[in-house]
Amino acid sequence: MAGLTEDTNPVLDIDGLLINQEHNKTQEENNNNNSNSQLKDKSAVLGRDREENSSKNQNQAEIDMASIHRSGSRPQLDLSKAAIEGNFEEKDPTILLPNQSDDISHLALDIGGSLIKLVYFSRHEGQSIDDKRKKILKERLGISNGTRRSYPILGGRLHFVKFETTKINECLDFIYSKQLHHGGMDSCHWNAEAPANENAVIKATGGGAFRFADLFKERLGVSLDKEDEMNCLVAGANFLLKAIRHEAFTHMEGRKEFVQIDHNDLFPYLLVNIGSGVSMIKVDGDGKFQRVSGTNVGGGTYWGLGRLLTKCKSFDELLELSQRGDNRTIDMLVGDIYGGMDYSKIGLSASTIASSFGKAISDKKELEDYSPEDISLSLLRMISYNIGQIAYLNALRFGLKRIFFGGFFIRGHAYTMDTISFAVHFWSNGDAQAMFLRHEGFLGALGAFMSYEKHGLDDLMVHQLVERFPMGAPYTGGKIHGPPLGDLNEKISWMEKFVLKGTEITAPVPMAPPPGTTGLGGFEVPSSKGSTLRSDASALNVGVLHLVPTLEVFPLLADPKTYEPNTIDLADHNELEYWFTVLSGHLPDLVDKAVASEGGTDDAQRRGDAFARAFSAHLSRLIEDPAAYGKLGLANLLELREECLREFQFHDAYRSIKQRENEASLAVLADLFAELDSMSEETRLLTLIEGVLAANIFDWGSRACVDLYHKGTIIEIYRMSRNKMQRPWRVDDFDLFKERMLGSGDKKPQPHKRALLFVDNSGADIVLGMLPLARELLRRGTEVVLVANSLPALNDVTAMELPDIVAEAAKHCDILRRAAEAGSLLVDAMINPSDSSKENSSSIPLMVVENGCGSPCIDLRQVSSELAAAAKDADLIVLEGMGRALHTNYNARFKCDALKLAMVKNQRLAEKLIKGNIYDCVCRYEPASKANLL
Amino acid sequence: MDVRDSGFHGKLDDDQSESQISHLALDIGGTLIKLVYFSRNKDNLIDENKNRKNSFVEGRLHFAKFETSKINDCLEFILSNKLHLGGFQHHEDPASDKILIKATGGGAYRFADLIKEKLGVSIEKEEEMECLVAGANFLLKAVHQEAYTYMDGRKEFVHIDHNDLYPYLLVNIGSGVSMIKVDGDGKFERISGTSVGGGTFWGLGRLLTKCKSFDELLELSHQGNNRVIDMLVGDIYGGLDYSKIGLSSTTIASSFGKAISDNRELEEYKPEDIARSLLRMISNNIGQIAYLNALRFGLKRIFFGGFFIRSHAFTMDTISVAVNFWSKGEAKAMFLNHEGFLGALGAFMSYVKHGHDDSISPQSGQRYPVCTPLVGDKICYPLNGDLNDNDSLECSVYVA
Repeated sequence: MAGLTEDTNPVLDIDGLLINQEHNKTQEENNNNNSNSQLKDKSAVLGRDREENSSKNQNQAEIDMASIHRSGSRPQLDLSKAAIEGNFEEKDPTILLPNQSDDISHLALDIGGSLIKLVYFSRHEGQSIDDKRKKILKERLGISNGTRRSYPILGGRLHFVKFETTKINECLDFIYSKQLHHGGMDSCHWNAEAPANENAVIKATGGGAFRFADLFKERLGVSLDKEDEMNCLVAGANFLLKAIRHEAFTHMEGRKEFVQIDHNDLFPYLLVNIGSGVSMIKVDGDGKFQRVSGTNVGGGTYWGLGRLLTKCKSFDELLELSQRGDNRTIDMLVGDIYGGMDYSKIGLSASTIASSFGKAISDKKELEDYSPEDISLSLLRMISYNIGQIAYLNALRFGLKRIFFGGFFIRGHAYTMDTISFAVHFWSNGDAQAMFLRHEGFLGALGAFMSYEKHGLDDLMVHQLVERFPMGAPYTGGKIHGPPLGDLNEKISWMEKFVLKGTEITAPVPMAPPPGTTGLGGFEVPSSKGSTLRSDASALNVGVLHLVPTLEVFPLLADPKTYEPNTIDLADHNELEYWFTVLSGHLPDLVDKAVASEGGTDDAQRRGDAFARAFSAHLSRLIEDPAAYGKLGLANLLELREECLREFQFHDAYRSIKQRENEASLAVLADLFAELDSMSEETRLLTLIEGVLAANIFDWGSRACVDLYHKGTIIEIYRMSRNKMQRPWRVDDFDLFKERMLGSGDKKPQPHKRALLFVDNSGADIVLGMLPLARELLRRGTEVVLVANSLPALNDVTAMELPDIVAEAAKHCDILRRAAEAGSLLVDAMINPSDSSKENSSSIPLMVVENGCGSPCIDLRQVSSELAAAAKDADLIVLEGMGRALHTNYNARFKCDALKLAMVKNQRLAEKLIKGNIYDCVCRYEPASKANLL
Repeated sequence: MDVRDSGFHGKLDDDQSESQISHLALDIGGTLIKLVYFSRNKDNLIDENKNRKNSFVEGRLHFAKFETSKINDCLEFILSNKLHLGGFQHHEDPASDKILIKATGGGAYRFADLIKEKLGVSIEKEEEMECLVAGANFLLKAVHQEAYTYMDGRKEFVHIDHNDLYPYLLVNIGSGVSMIKVDGDGKFERISGTSVGGGTFWGLGRLLTKCKSFDELLELSHQGNNRVIDMLVGDIYGGLDYSKIGLSSTTIASSFGKAISDNRELEEYKPEDIARSLLRMISNNIGQIAYLNALRFGLKRIFFGGFFIRSHAFTMDTISVAVNFWSKGEAKAMFLNHEGFLGALGAFMSYVKHGHDDSISPQSGQRYPVCTPLVGDKICYPLNGDLNDNDSLECSVYVA
């Protein structure tokens, strides 16, 4: 294997490869940024020494790489621990730089009058590890070629960043530091081997693409390829509306509601882009549009007039002022004219503005006598209202049902959106609704990105996109990049800065951000007025879009269109508060675990603190604006926590606990098997289901259960718990299930062909609960696929860990051993895997697939392609555990038989969902019915 | 009928101020108070007595205006000229001394008590939109050269066929803007409006320039250059047109948009430039919204009235350009000579409508057989002085 490392001894053995790959994997799975890698390898990243070191390397790949970092005066690609990834037979092996923060990217720009918007793409190479085990599994599941080449789209991330146009130099520094300009379109293959082409071209739109073309050439040596602005806006909007599930929303009276857009009924619509000026575009389809109107009273007017009138230093300062303003001191209201009375005859209430700034006439007050807050609000209302009115009139003119407002004027500002919505509502008598886009500011930049011939986004489907909201990384995600850029060359990791800032700004640790700001903003900016775009950064609500081409819709969903994973609706504020309290309460314990999992070092402790702050800030942000990151369900919230942990480099906080519990459970497994084998078929089935429910008590996600752990050993708790399983359970379809399994009377039913077992926790849950059930199914001739998380979440067992557990369990049981061999789970232990697999091909296999997510819950609209493939022949689904069977999917309907098993370890959920109590059990069996198939 | 335009100062002539004054009507807006009153010609008095039933009263319609904030000056003016006696006695109780004066506009509510106290007369409130429409209908039908277009500095009177007048869009630009679809006498609907109107121009203008009056601000705008402050298409595209969507480099992309990127403070901008940017922003906006509404209801004619315009060439030009631009030349903005007095005129007309006094018999403008302006189209109000010095404009109308 070719190792591209700065050590003189490349890693050559298989283990080394695996380690590297694992390293790569975790690297990718974490938020992708310079600083992560800086943290990982303190010697990494900066500067000349790296280049000098790497120049010692003499292989071809290195030469290609060297071309990327040309001058040594700036941060360069980090080549430490680089390795060729994947298949050796591949003709053009991809070189993976695990310590380089991002792979080579595509970059597109939208340089407007006020702001520069960047969209760039960073690849992450095939997430799945292409080991033999997987390869065999894939063959069995009928996935012929599991490498990324079989997918039309590359996996990766879309990042959204913006700068003020006046600070274009910071933008150029940013691009340079990330070497984004080398990912331009002239590197015709999406490979790391970008040639040092002096004629590199970057797609750009917006007026600045003309104005700053020379500057880009001079500073970065790249040409800007100018894309038509309207084209870009429309392409960007079409992409967002099609690809992102919760992109469009309405905003009335402070309430945000996401709108489900039917892709087949999207066109025509009116796109109102509010930048410095306003463009109104009628969109009839992809690339089919017409600018029908516009107005010169736009964001530039607000900011320009606002600056002159208030001396504000930034747009966002001005916006923030408006939040505390009272426009009645300046605007002439209908009531002012009519002596406080409504002019009801024509439908004008006393509080309707008759004349914006009209009171400034009759008063003897000078500019200084008006409060800047009031001025800002009057101005904001005047402009928003005006835009809403003109937009509605144009929509009416062309009979357009939908009006989408985008552009940087809005920037998620609630009052602005309310005013526009009000105007549209008012003038249309409620017939029309204003809709807004979460990525409002990035339409143009996204569109420019789409104009690359091979942007790979064409065929992208909703289910292939996962949006994440990284917190701390200063150079990624949807944040304004102001001051931190100055520190780019300092050898200080972003983590240090984050912690430093956190304590400096927010000591003591804040559970709520300072008033007037929201989560992210509270972190980034001290309470004194800075020059950063504070409210902007906080209100942006734009995460990093992860493009995961391998994700698919779970094929066994009865009706994917109406499927809603979340059982609990967090739109109910009480519910939201409850879960926030639960998560906050759980936080200190989680931090302890996380820190311990990383050896309890000072560094781990710092990261732990930073994680706690970041996650608390997320929570505060969400409690204030639950829709900040899109439609919020409990599953999203729980996943956010896991992602946040990963962002702070805690890859598996429960690793040691999981190991300990697995070992303890495996130790008693043989006894359990013996006990089970002595039972009659009928008793055994009941005992198995009891066992699954009983073992599900071992859940670190549940506070109540954490307390239990301190009171007994695993097997004691398990037995005690099982003995307490008094039927009937709170939800008890066991008899129905039994009938399907064992039949009634003499009639023996056909066994299931293949069962998908969605497993939950490590330890007793998987070992003493689900494995025995799997064993029983295998014994009955049903193929079993254990479906586990791709990434760790709490103490949930992962797909990576399962083979070892199964291998260990197989030592006690021939059924499991043969099945595991047939399912290639024991491939590592086999001397000659190909022979064995042939020999065992007739056996009923036990397989493991990853589900494609790293959350305690599962959204079946986005599962791994492996799982989707495995589902094709499945006729039984077993969902186990609160996260997957209750919090999510409790109401999901499937095309095949489905068994949902869980112990409710939360009093509130028990009351709410099953009108029961904590430790009540759910055994819900729903046979595939004709109705389900329809 | 004469339409005479001449300024006069202070008190009316003695011979005029005697008992001939009648029928005072007021339009008390947020910014300005408009007065319309009628004076009979002396030599017609006998005529009237003789042939009361079938002849018209000859006389003059006088127009005057005051700033609303200086309402006391206005009341003083009314009092000194005994205009308040030109009301009518309550028809159900003719014996009573109570005199009622027709008034419209928000101030008719707000200042009712003040007027009662100072003048001893009561206000009979007339509905504002009705008055605007009645005033406009009267002018368009009765006054020969009332409506005109204004493009590139050229004023052109438009002949209005009385039989093909309706429907039309009446845009009244006062402090705020009302847009009214007029389908006939008394048949109309307020279909739209905007809060960005004359009050906005003056209010924002005052804050930004420290001008002392609306007209001073207008005057300033004459000399300004909006390119200093407005962001033009050319500024964004490095001097190029964005021809694909039909925007020339001089099109305003963002009003006041340059005030963003410059590090200049308010004091560093010339008041003239600010006034000009502001005027263009507001005029353009009104023109656009008006056109969109006309389009929506298929209205061919758009008449702009109200005190914001006050025959200011640049204002009319901008509105005309906006209408022309957005309609791709299909619609034309039209203006009215008596633009500011629509409401007051309408209130005045309501004396007739309600039959309070049959001494003025014209039920509609058509009864006026000849309407010839004495001074041609030189109907151009002085740009300054008339408001601040509390001058009033007089247009007199007499019926031959």
